[in-house]
Amino acid sequence: MTISSIALTDNIRPLTEETALSVRHLSFYYGHKEALSDITLNIHRNCITAIMGPSGCGKSTLLRAMNRIYDLNPTHRASGEIMIDGTNILSPGIDILSLRKKIGMVFQKPTPFPMSIYDNIAFGIKLYEKLSRAEMAVRVEQALRAAALWDEVKDNLNASGNSLSGGQQQRLCIARTLAIKPDIILMDEPTSALDPIATQKIEELMVTLKEDYTIAIVTHNLQQAARISDYAAFLYMGHLIEFRDTPTLFSKPKHPQTADYLHGRFG
Amino acid sequence: MHGCARSQRQARVNKNLLRIRKAKNAIATAIALTSVGLGVAILMVILYEIVTQGIAYITADTLTKTTPPPGGTGGLANSIVGSLIMVVMAMLIAIPTGVMGGVYLSEYQRRTRWGSVIRFCNDTLLSTPSICVGIFAYEMMVKPMHGFSGYAGAVALAMIAVPVILRTSESFLILVPDSLREAAAALGATKEQITLSIGFRAARSGILTGLLIALSRIMGETAPLLFTALNNQFWSLNLSHPMANLPSTIYQLAMSPYEEWHKLAWAGALLITSFVLGINLLSRYMNSYSQRAEK
Repeated sequence: MTISSIALTDNIRPLTEETALSVRHLSFYYGHKEALSDITLNIHRNCITAIMGPSGCGKSTLLRAMNRIYDLNPTHRASGEIMIDGTNILSPGIDILSLRKKIGMVFQKPTPFPMSIYDNIAFGIKLYEKLSRAEMAVRVEQALRAAALWDEVKDNLNASGNSLSGGQQQRLCIARTLAIKPDIILMDEPTSALDPIATQKIEELMVTLKEDYTIAIVTHNLQQAARISDYAAFLYMGHLIEFRDTPTLFSKPKHPQTADYLHGRFG
Repeated sequence: MHGCARSQRQARVNKNLLRIRKAKNAIATAIALTSVGLGVAILMVILYEIVTQGIAYITADTLTKTTPPPGGTGGLANSIVGSLIMVVMAMLIAIPTGVMGGVYLSEYQRRTRWGSVIRFCNDTLLSTPSICVGIFAYEMMVKPMHGFSGYAGAVALAMIAVPVILRTSESFLILVPDSLREAAAALGATKEQITLSIGFRAARSGILTGLLIALSRIMGETAPLLFTALNNQFWSLNLSHPMANLPSTIYQLAMSPYEEWHKLAWAGALLITSFVLGINLLSRYMNSYSQRAEK
């Protein structure tokens, strides 16, 4: 863990080869429309993997397949495999609730629940654990500290989650996700609704979080992907065009389409 | 050159057209204002009439004595209590049915064919004349039970309240953004937890408003009670017997030839109106309160 933080300051990124989640030949359909076609890539443990591409390329779809949140809509369908700890999470018999415990998700728009800051965090914990009042208070504080929000809200835990600023709300949502102790965190354009200062805070937070978590982030912000990610994938029209470590992808993209995208020629 | 071009551009503006547009705007505003004025004026006249006619007869006797014998004196106590009992019973039936029906439409049958069939049926029930509901309850309950009863009255009132509650609950649950449901699902909440802990919480002020609207609606309904609870001029706390109720009593008193009874009818009208007005104010207050609490 410390190696990666030291390495970070030296701006050299050691890349773990251990795989946290492995996507194999994934295709995804909205009704009859194919949104993803034969995607294969690995999400590496304790790394940030950025998924980039122009609007509508399927990057959010790919992320939403990883915790099967698409299940909420019966017309959405995936084929192929997504392996986590040796299990294919796309197989029908999988325990969805345990899957969602293992894989947290943060959305584009901050989504605080209509309850107090404290209850926003406690809500998720209560789904999995029976804790005493004191234990719960400790867990809530831990989660808020981990999301770098504690100092701003510690005197106001009973205030409504909606009373926070946009950036704070998003960190509340991150805290809520951390509180149930997932292995992997999926982030779907988590900063696109935020101002630059709030964005910077969340980016810093993500870099700290990867010491303990595996992060996959969808972003249309190339600078963001370059700044924070270790691996980057470029998707175009439902196809995975290129996937490699971020420095190489940005400096020596193999595929001409990736180069075009990085140079702002489309997208 | 420049000056010439500018004057040409200005010349192209048709002054007449401008004047017509402004006039149309003024007329539209005037029509809107008149309509509002008419609506408010009618309400004011009704309220004025009821208050001035009724206020003098809201006395201790009115509130404590039972329906007067022909030509005699009395009060509305039994009718008030009877109405309250039946309305409370009706709401006890209608709240779970209506709210859970709204949940079913919003959370389980959204955008489905079956959902729109149910919604259509509910909307039809919503606009069914209340006299039909009365006749239905008569056929279903009064006939088999061989007699008018408070139970039948409560059921008839519940049938009026259910579609109102169902519709408002559904509308306000649908307004809860899907992103909130997704966020809860992503934490591993089940559908039941998403609905009860997130959906209800986010929609609570709207759902409560719907309950209050239904309550004030059935408080003043007469037709469904005519063939069900009938009326009773004595104290009647037994729900299996005919039960006194304010709307029927007002109708009876107002249609009578006795001056004293007319006064009581006005007092009753004032009571119901104040109740409905109070409920409406309460729901407005709760709405603005919860909106403030959200901020």
